Amino acid sequence: MIIIGENIHVIAKEVSQAIRERNAKVIQDLAIQQKEAGADYLDLNVGPVKRDTEETMKWLVECVQEVVDLPLSIDTMNPVAMEAGLKYCKRRPLLNSASGKTDSKQNMLPLAKKYNCDVVVSVMTDKGMPPDLETKVESILDTVTYANELGIPNEDIWIDPIILPVSTAGEGQRIAVENLEFIKILQDVVPGVKSTVGLSNVSNGVPHHLRPILNRTYLVMLERSGLYSAIADPLDEELMALIRGKMENVRQLIYKVMDKEEIDMSSLTQKEIDYVKTARILMGETLYSDAWLEI
Amino acid sequence: MEFKVPKEAYTGNVREIVIGKGEKTLKIGGENILPLHFFDDGVQPNPPRFALEVLDMVPQDWPDFLKEPYLDVISDPIKWAKKCEEYGADAISLMLLSTDPAEKDTSPDEAASLVKRMLSEVRKPLIVYGCGDEKKDSEVLPRVAEVCKGENLLIGPVQKENYEIVGKAILENGHVAIAQTPLDINLLKELNIKLCKFLPPERVVIDPLSSALGYGIEYSFSIMERVKQIGIITKDSMTMMPIIANLGGECWKTKQAKEEKNQGLLWEGITAIALLLAGANLLVLRHPETLKLVKETLGGNKIWN
Repeated sequence: MIIIGENIHVIAKEVSQAIRERNAKVIQDLAIQQKEAGADYLDLNVGPVKRDTEETMKWLVECVQEVVDLPLSIDTMNPVAMEAGLKYCKRRPLLNSASGKTDSKQNMLPLAKKYNCDVVVSVMTDKGMPPDLETKVESILDTVTYANELGIPNEDIWIDPIILPVSTAGEGQRIAVENLEFIKILQDVVPGVKSTVGLSNVSNGVPHHLRPILNRTYLVMLERSGLYSAIADPLDEELMALIRGKMENVRQLIYKVMDKEEIDMSSLTQKEIDYVKTARILMGETLYSDAWLEI
Repeated sequence: MEFKVPKEAYTGNVREIVIGKGEKTLKIGGENILPLHFFDDGVQPNPPRFALEVLDMVPQDWPDFLKEPYLDVISDPIKWAKKCEEYGADAISLMLLSTDPAEKDTSPDEAASLVKRMLSEVRKPLIVYGCGDEKKDSEVLPRVAEVCKGENLLIGPVQKENYEIVGKAILENGHVAIAQTPLDINLLKELNIKLCKFLPPERVVIDPLSSALGYGIEYSFSIMERVKQIGIITKDSMTMMPIIANLGGECWKTKQAKEEKNQGLLWEGITAIALLLAGANLLVLRHPETLKLVKETLGGNKIWN
């Protein structure tokens, strides 16, 4: 599993402030920490960068590359900022992201060809989020065909099914299950493509201290379904342990829930019980509530 | 080839809850089929029940045709409640509106004493709704529970802000709780989990809020429908409780209901029928003619025999 470190993110106040004030140390510390924790890529989520676009992107990319040699994922919706970022990358970067939206096809996808980089392609279309599995597949087939025509091979395309919060009134759980299925069938639909997700979104809106177990459990489930990479928090030690082949007992329990096998809860530790309960939420077996571990 | 009608059989069962005691009791819930799915394997032993609503103060914003059936009793809640019995209500839902600090800020003692008096005078089970102000309710409802100890009243709303204090008073004094959450199934389940840490689930009725036709009824419908599906199909213990639809007040504050009598009756009646189809077990109405209309629509209780 390729982990794209998510922690350099403008929604974090210290990051947006550091970029504004050109405070290299804050950014470089985050980069080093994530690399040491085992990240394979670093995501630079810069937002729209409307002011001093070129200069800001150059500064940020070079600032990170000064201290780590990991490939970068340039994460912005603004094609001008995207190009500025890609231009300064020393290693083959990841364009994060393009989608099936017309303006994205016209302005983002050509950049992937121009800079010969990998590209995240989400299932979004001009109509918004496809409502079910079938329409997600249609959207991806359409966008991948378009990308192929531009000369981007399947192997350079990382498909993103878009993870939504599991806590949103019923729908969130349905979509969590559907996305597992999407990842599972992806290779049959578009052979050779890779895949990625914005993992933490699954726990958006959930009380802060309960977010990690949802993220970890879902990543194990996605990995088993065939996920290639995830934008996630490499500083979460338990998350990294789980996907680096440790905590085998927990992994097996999550698999059992996925396979709908009976589990004897009386023989489990509290931590194992919590993982089983969380996996049941993510499989849509029990209705989500913030108190899911308390019952 | 022989055609076999498909039949579903589910494992979940909505808890049957009794309200009131002695002669004046009412059973709600108990079904192990989806609402009105009599063609499946299982039973819906208790028909939907209907309460008429009484306020503890003269209503200020009711249209004349809604006040009309209660005109001679409207300033006396106890006589008003008796009138509701005459109109065929299965239960009386007393709304302690005057306790609202924005209304008369009636004291907990005074409110509780009214409930106690009403209890001794009426022959139907009582539902008691506080004003909805979490803080005031957490003073008024425990007092009501205490003064009416052992009477098995249905008391609410118990909300996430006051569930500990109100829920404990309900537990200690032998009543049933109305657990109320604002149109959100995840919050609904969370409140039930928290409440049921000390209150047996057999003493909880769900109030997911009942929006009126044209004012968000789709939300209430979907949530009630899902509560039943999740309880009955997937056997989720925390949604296997009966549902109360307190819809009268919501309907009669709409412009459309206030405009014209027949339109008002239909507004309340259609809202009631829709929520009943979604799974409501106990419905609180305001106009006695709506009650008649809804009962006629259901064809008496024939389908339950």
